[in-house]
Amino acid sequence: MAPLRDRPILIDIYDTPGTFDPERDSIFIFGSSNEERIQHIDAWRSHAGNTQFIHISQQEISEFQYLVEQTTKTVSLRSERQLLDFWREISAHTVYFDLTGFGHHVWAPLIRSGIAAGKRLMVTYVEPKEYRYTVTPTEGEIFDLSERIAGIAPIPGFASLREVRDENVCFIPLLGFEGRRFAYIVETVQPPGGKTVPIIGLPGFRPEYPFHTYLCNRVPLMQEIGSWKNTRFASANDPFSLYYLLQDIADENRGDLLKIAPIGTKPHALGAILFAITSPQKVELVYDHPIRRPQRTYGISRLLVYHISTFLRA
Amino acid sequence: MTDESIKSALTEQLSQLFGSYKAEWLKERMFELFTEPSYFPELATPRPCLLLGGRGTGKTTVLRCMSYEGQFALHGKKSDTVSTWSYYGMYYRVNTNRVTAFQGPELSQEKWQRVFAHYFNLVCCDLIIRFLEWYYLHCPQSQQLSESDCSRVSLSLNLQPASDIASLAKRISEAQTKFEAYINNVADNDDMQLSLQGAPIDALMEAIQRLSPFKSKHFLFLLDEYENLADYQQQIINTLIKHSGQFYSFKVGVKELGWRCRTTLNPNEQLISPADYVRIRIADKFDGDRFLIFAQKVCNERISKLNQVGRSVLDISSLLPKLSEEDEAELLDKEGSGLAAEAARTLESVAPETTKNALSRISLLEKYFICFWAKGHKKDIRGEWLDYLRNPDTWKDRYHNYRHSLLYTLKRGKPGIQKHYSGWNVLVHLAGNNIRYFLELIDQILLRHVQSGQNLDVPISYSTQTLAAQYVGKKNLAELEGLSVHGAQLTKLLLGLGRIFQTMAADAAGHIPEVNHFHVSDPEPGEPPEFAKHSTNLLNSAVMHLALLRFAGNKLSDESDTRDYDYMVHPIFSAFFAFSYRHKRKIILSGKQLMGLVNEPRKTINEILTATNRIDTEPLPDQLQLFQGYYGSAS
Repeated sequence: MAPLRDRPILIDIYDTPGTFDPERDSIFIFGSSNEERIQHIDAWRSHAGNTQFIHISQQEISEFQYLVEQTTKTVSLRSERQLLDFWREISAHTVYFDLTGFGHHVWAPLIRSGIAAGKRLMVTYVEPKEYRYTVTPTEGEIFDLSERIAGIAPIPGFASLREVRDENVCFIPLLGFEGRRFAYIVETVQPPGGKTVPIIGLPGFRPEYPFHTYLCNRVPLMQEIGSWKNTRFASANDPFSLYYLLQDIADENRGDLLKIAPIGTKPHALGAILFAITSPQKVELVYDHPIRRPQRTYGISRLLVYHISTFLRA
Repeated sequence: MTDESIKSALTEQLSQLFGSYKAEWLKERMFELFTEPSYFPELATPRPCLLLGGRGTGKTTVLRCMSYEGQFALHGKKSDTVSTWSYYGMYYRVNTNRVTAFQGPELSQEKWQRVFAHYFNLVCCDLIIRFLEWYYLHCPQSQQLSESDCSRVSLSLNLQPASDIASLAKRISEAQTKFEAYINNVADNDDMQLSLQGAPIDALMEAIQRLSPFKSKHFLFLLDEYENLADYQQQIINTLIKHSGQFYSFKVGVKELGWRCRTTLNPNEQLISPADYVRIRIADKFDGDRFLIFAQKVCNERISKLNQVGRSVLDISSLLPKLSEEDEAELLDKEGSGLAAEAARTLESVAPETTKNALSRISLLEKYFICFWAKGHKKDIRGEWLDYLRNPDTWKDRYHNYRHSLLYTLKRGKPGIQKHYSGWNVLVHLAGNNIRYFLELIDQILLRHVQSGQNLDVPISYSTQTLAAQYVGKKNLAELEGLSVHGAQLTKLLLGLGRIFQTMAADAAGHIPEVNHFHVSDPEPGEPPEFAKHSTNLLNSAVMHLALLRFAGNKLSDESDTRDYDYMVHPIFSAFFAFSYRHKRKIILSGKQLMGLVNEPRKTINEILTATNRIDTEPLPDQLQLFQGYYGSAS
């Protein structure tokens, strides 16, 4: 493990989104959602100085749309060329990318191409105050976050087609509150016994959240023999700590294909994507594409800014 | 060793032998613990086969044991035997995370077909090359592929010529990397050199079979989890299956209802059994006593591997004693409200003196039955008793039909075990011909027995067996949520059906006994068509993931029509809900009601029970308390 001084955590934390001021002449890219925590952007952009905003208005399975100079443009998520063109059209060097209102299948390829385009990329994320509890709790579900899952399919641009032997697979689920999603991914991946390393967000957005994570994932954690004993922890809102942890796990499992399931917090998923982009070791992302409940969270908590370009250059 | 350390060592051994009931958990031990099923010889022929079975029926284990790695382990890892085998199998599990990359609006369907066919060529050639590398490691003096053969295969894949196996392997590896980049940017419309469907596989297999070590050998592609392929992908591989045979063939493992597309790329060309392939449905191969015999063999082989110094171990059927219905009635009645004892007293009080001797000769359960029958049919007990004496054959039949169902009524509304599920034959029934479920049951029973301080030379108590069966039902119910994209709905459907059949079992007087099947009615007039569509999808998913078992109904005409089937809640859940595990009688449910169990459970459960003249007023049994949220959700 590298010494702590070589593992910088490049995060700015704002107690409320209203106290965050983007740098001058920057661009702010954001998506849509019915959640309260995304709606702050409307109130906030009116006094955001000379920052320009790009609104990704539609997020489809294979493409997204945005409005530029009264024209709607469409970008395919499985086209390096179109994605790079999207970034090249942005004149500003400094770009803020707000993760909060995007599905993984859109932000992951966008961030990858943004890095490739050489932008100075900073990712913002707003924590919710609270998640919505379900009125019909079952053993694996106490929150009501997803309507259903579309099923396992590669995140665009991250398909991995190489076959490896089962004994050369290390499975790393990044756990959230939806135990049935973890169970579904376990059923699909069928990880070999003994090489599952679950990761839980600790500290969580709130002190009780790590306990909820254990509770919600109890059945699949117990089912995967011994996997609960391998559990590791990384701060729930910190992609960089997660990245370092993945590096450590990769070192411990040299030569293995790391199958990472980013089904926990978005900052953890960001850490996993950064790791997948940069790791010399083979990484496969396994994702189940949940259809989110329109209002799965309440309230607005802190805003975090992740300096990912600086991090990747470090 | 202390008693505690002996217990701990035994627990550990049991976990290893019975607890790792998934093939992927067992790793190398899978081969050591392999028990050949009766259908194995049928599968090991050169003909294409479709191995059809639900989750946990042993498909993966069998296919893996047919692979060259499996055969090597089963032959004692002796290199000198490798060249003597009659076939070489190459195992491939269809990985959802790979095959779902081959769809989307970026390409036309026709182009996706060509792209996937090329991908599958790469996969198969890679499997063969890996096998050859392995073979030459064990048989280093064997004749190798010539340069011209390697070159022909690489050209067939549209790759640069290869001079030997190593360079062919390298070319394929590079091609896979390039192909991955192509798929990740498939909307860029870059030119990709594709290969002709099946041509490189044919070229490679033809070349191999000209080599001296492989003359008269057969090569098998062992494709597991075929259900993960999209329909058009199944068509592509169906085409290969249809036209395979001379050099190689396919053994396909697929879940029930997972083989959705039976045509080749030519929509008029079907794969037909037995002309094109052998269809092996595991459930059919385990009918009668065959599963029982297989399960007994599996368990006893595993038990024989236990290292219990100075202790004998009973065989599995002796470890699991059965409780007769008469004895069980005595046991449950004592723990319950004494319904049977009260019925016996009533009967004794009304029976004429001259019949007392006859009355004393019948069991408590039979006395209870006479009163139960009289109450259910609103008749006089004394009259029924006299009728019993006059028409013994009629009453014998009645008693035979009802005696099992009476047991579910004795502890109605009381805490604790509602009904015992014990005995080797009963546990085999609960597993529903599923070896994974069976091993889970045995694992839990043995663990609980050992942890209670008992040894394996002592028969296991009825309550230990029952509590373990309840636990396994509950565990599998919880796991249903993660089995498919319909997981949450499946759990709710099962909770609803379980409560209905449990209430019907407990409130049996005046009703037909042992209802645990259902048939889906035709849609009601004016019923929105989406009910039928959604309920069909849900039922198919429930069958595929073993929440339900499906049987051909009275008017089977089309396999896609769910209304032509009868459904039964899988018996593995019967101990958890407390209803009969036996194949018995059915009720009719509509598609709307099935969806209602998912979306409006409380209301729909009441509606269905009311239609059978019952009311859902019973408190939830102990084991269902966890699901209070679901059962009370709409009240």
